[in-house]
Amino acid sequence: MSESTEALLRVEGLSTRFFTEQGQVNAVSDLDLRIDRGDVYGIVGESGSGKSVTARSIMDLIESPGEITSGEIWYRNGELAAAVEDDHGHAVDGSFVDLLEIPERVRRSLRGTSFSMIFQDPESSFNPSLTVGEQLAEAVEVQRRASANPRSTRARTRSEEYSLGSFVLSTMLPSKRYVSEESRERAISLLELVGIPDPVERADEYPHEYSGGMLQRAMIAQALAGEPDLLIADEPTTALDVTIQAQILDLLDELKRETGMTILLITHNLGVIARMCDRVGVMYAGEIVERGTLADVFDDHVHPYTHGLLGSIPDVERAGGRLEPIPGNVPSLLDREMGDRCRFADRCPKAMEDCLSHPPEVDAEGSDHHAVRCVLAERSYDESRALPDDYFGEPDRPAEAVDEPQSDDEPLPAERTQPTLEDAGGDGS
Amino acid sequence: MSYAKFLVKRILQGVFVVWGVVTVTFALRAAAPGDPVNLIVDPGASPELREQIRREVGLDQPLYVQYLEYLQGLVVGDLGFSYQSRRDVSIMIAERLPATLELAIAATIVAVVIAIPLGVVSATRRHEPADYGATLFSLVGISTPNFWLGIMLILVLSVQIGLFPVSGRPVSFTDAVVSLVTTGYAHDLVTWLRHIALPAITLGTYFTALITRLTRSGMLDELGKPYVTATEAKGLPGVLIRYKHVLRNTMIPIVTVLGLQLGTLIGGAVITEAVFNWPGLGSRLISAIYAVDWPLIQGIIIVIGVGFVCINILVDSIYAYLNPRVTDE
Repeated sequence: MSESTEALLRVEGLSTRFFTEQGQVNAVSDLDLRIDRGDVYGIVGESGSGKSVTARSIMDLIESPGEITSGEIWYRNGELAAAVEDDHGHAVDGSFVDLLEIPERVRRSLRGTSFSMIFQDPESSFNPSLTVGEQLAEAVEVQRRASANPRSTRARTRSEEYSLGSFVLSTMLPSKRYVSEESRERAISLLELVGIPDPVERADEYPHEYSGGMLQRAMIAQALAGEPDLLIADEPTTALDVTIQAQILDLLDELKRETGMTILLITHNLGVIARMCDRVGVMYAGEIVERGTLADVFDDHVHPYTHGLLGSIPDVERAGGRLEPIPGNVPSLLDREMGDRCRFADRCPKAMEDCLSHPPEVDAEGSDHHAVRCVLAERSYDESRALPDDYFGEPDRPAEAVDEPQSDDEPLPAERTQPTLEDAGGDGS
Repeated sequence: MSYAKFLVKRILQGVFVVWGVVTVTFALRAAAPGDPVNLIVDPGASPELREQIRREVGLDQPLYVQYLEYLQGLVVGDLGFSYQSRRDVSIMIAERLPATLELAIAATIVAVVIAIPLGVVSATRRHEPADYGATLFSLVGISTPNFWLGIMLILVLSVQIGLFPVSGRPVSFTDAVVSLVTTGYAHDLVTWLRHIALPAITLGTYFTALITRLTRSGMLDELGKPYVTATEAKGLPGVLIRYKHVLRNTMIPIVTVLGLQLGTLIGGAVITEAVFNWPGLGSRLISAIYAVDWPLIQGIIIVIGVGFVCINILVDSIYAYLNPRVTDE
């Protein structure tokens, strides 16, 4: 657990929207998040709930037609605060900097060195035509160049971008190459750090010569290259075999203990959350509907969605018994189809008349961190005020039992084909 | 599989393909109607003369002997004699080959130098004026016929403005370079450049348009791949993402098309050669076909075939360099 409760990142009122041909999609709405230094924060939710978009918003990887439309992302970095204070005073609050108020160039310079990311599918996240060693060395070089100057942050925020001219020169003169020999050597030791045997030979191999698990290790090594403050792991084990999943989680755990880094872990797998995280946020339809410590969410949960998620996990002790999946599907996130009600109401077994207005987030019992966006936090379920079953049009498919789920890969109801968002890169899910 | 082994395999395959080309053209010649002797002598020649010529040329031998002798000659570079001009076919080809190669390579260089930057700009500034301009250019380029473009270029740039000469090839590239080196004057090289400019642009326009489109669509495809996001996430400068990663991968299919096109340029520049009176292999092939000059036709086809095979081997080796998965499979 964390030795201090110093916030590393404070996300306030973040909204990320996608402006598609079908209309405006509210992928993330008015989201608050606080990640403390040294913690592992888990975000769990179904596909299309906005977890990946949240991660990408922090990384500044949202691409057109997506856009962060409002909110603040406060990142604690005294050095950065001092460097940008003169020019962008309004973006600085003590040692915090609002990442959405500083120039794009400065923000990009934080990638790799302040924040780095592990992606779901290692095989498609490496360039197939460069060696793994070269790609790792690039990440090391980014960090090396950023810290080459003693006043590194200031230098970084002002220095010129690597130009096309330098690239053309580098293709002709080996001495002008972007990646230095030291970085290559460091890449090899990183491969060794993440437990890849024969790192010297493996560094010269191409991604297709690696197995999925090995490649995910290499990606973790790449993410560590810049010694980032925050590591975002977006479904790091989803594309892997179950046995390899455990190894990768062990590795993350071990590295976290050694380096004390902060991790934002995004997954749809509650087992992963239970194993890794200090804090959890349950995401549904672009909002965090319940948050708290592991114990709050697993044992004292209030929100019927959290309850449903936990009910969807196959359990060895109940083998032969039936799973209780949540009926229905992830709701449409199209702006025009979203009413001003609780977003889970149409699937909620305990929907009441009160749920027709959007509930605010309120504190719940349990630890100080436990908060939930549900009326049940303040009053108990009252059957006389329940909404009729067919209130939201035709009743969704009944809670049909799933007999034998093949693994814990997909414990949640399948995604509906509708203009919700492609989640987490898509391929592996 | 190692790179060397891969290369040896491709070369052996190439030899086999060339042998196939030789055999097919030989079979075509044998199957063609008419007595070849008629093509050599005057219609009024005496039967004795005909028989004598038949023996001299070797046409009295059984077909398989003729075939084996032809193959034997081929190994030492002897392609036989032209029926029409009575000259050595290999010399007749050697005279024309440099002009054709110059034109094909110049057209390819024009295409690559213009098309790849244009495609990159177009893909990285999607839906901006530069992209619309490049897309329009490639559409026009692909749909403009060569002969019309050539004539228009001559009309405007040569006849009216007088910027370039109308036609011909007064000096070869090698001579021009030799003169530059020996005398120190670039006059010949400039002459050569001025003469090749319009034919190269004419021949290269379609090619430029094609490569622009390929580069644009390939780069857009590549930019959408997850590894690009991952590379952005590690903080690599944009220039390196675009060129070291994305463009390099985009080049993999483009190199293939480039090679195939260069191959067709060697044999297929006939129209451009005609318009600009460029003394290349294509125009010689056409006149050989009109004269039913079989040894010359056969020789030129074989040379074009060998050119094609060589270019393909070159392309494959570049391809293997760009795409490490090739040598593994």
